[in-house]
Amino acid sequence: MFRNALMRGLRAPLAARQSALPRVGAVYAPANVRFYAGFPALTRDGAKERILELLEGYDKVDTSKEITEQSSFVQDLGLDSLDVVEVVMEVEHEFNIQIPDNEADNLKTVGQTLDYILAQDDAC
Amino acid sequence: MTTQREVLSLYKQLLNKAYKFDNYNFREYAKRKITHSFKTNKSVTDGESITQLYNAGIDSLAQLHRQATISGMFTFDKLVVEPLKKHH
Repeated sequence: MFRNALMRGLRAPLAARQSALPRVGAVYAPANVRFYAGFPALTRDGAKERILELLEGYDKVDTSKEITEQSSFVQDLGLDSLDVVEVVMEVEHEFNIQIPDNEADNLKTVGQTLDYILAQDDAC
Repeated sequence: MTTQREVLSLYKQLLNKAYKFDNYNFREYAKRKITHSFKTNKSVTDGESITQLYNAGIDSLAQLHRQATISGMFTFDKLVVEPLKKHH
């Protein structure tokens, strides 16, 4: 008795829900709308500026030479392997990404790091 | 035999854990201690001492994990010296 009443009560909202479902997929979301919680799109110039700022703020970096995309962390910036790990960690924090160890081994220059960041969908 | 890769991986794991401290003093101390310990033992070449130091590092990692978790159970106010989160 109770069960029958319960089933009847459930069936109606379920039917209503099913009819509402297809509409969810049809929500119109144009690509150029910027939502309040979203970050602006990451550009190469913007990312480069942030990396350079980060490197210039790092006291072990040799600042006598100008830092370019071709600068190698070890050869041009005078960092050792431990410092490179620290720089990679700072980059991870700055762009909210995780760089796995085997990928981090291949990041030897500023340009390579930039390419890696821009290839990540969730970098911001 | 401990490879350079393993040591660097441990270094990164330790620093990652150190960043998890909520409290400024604990966090900065842990970071300072980790970088200092690794830099002072940078020139060690003897395989046995490297393994010994590596094992000590693994123990510290476990300790750091415990302490960072306990520290996460309490809330701390931000100090004036701590930089605020930047907007893009």
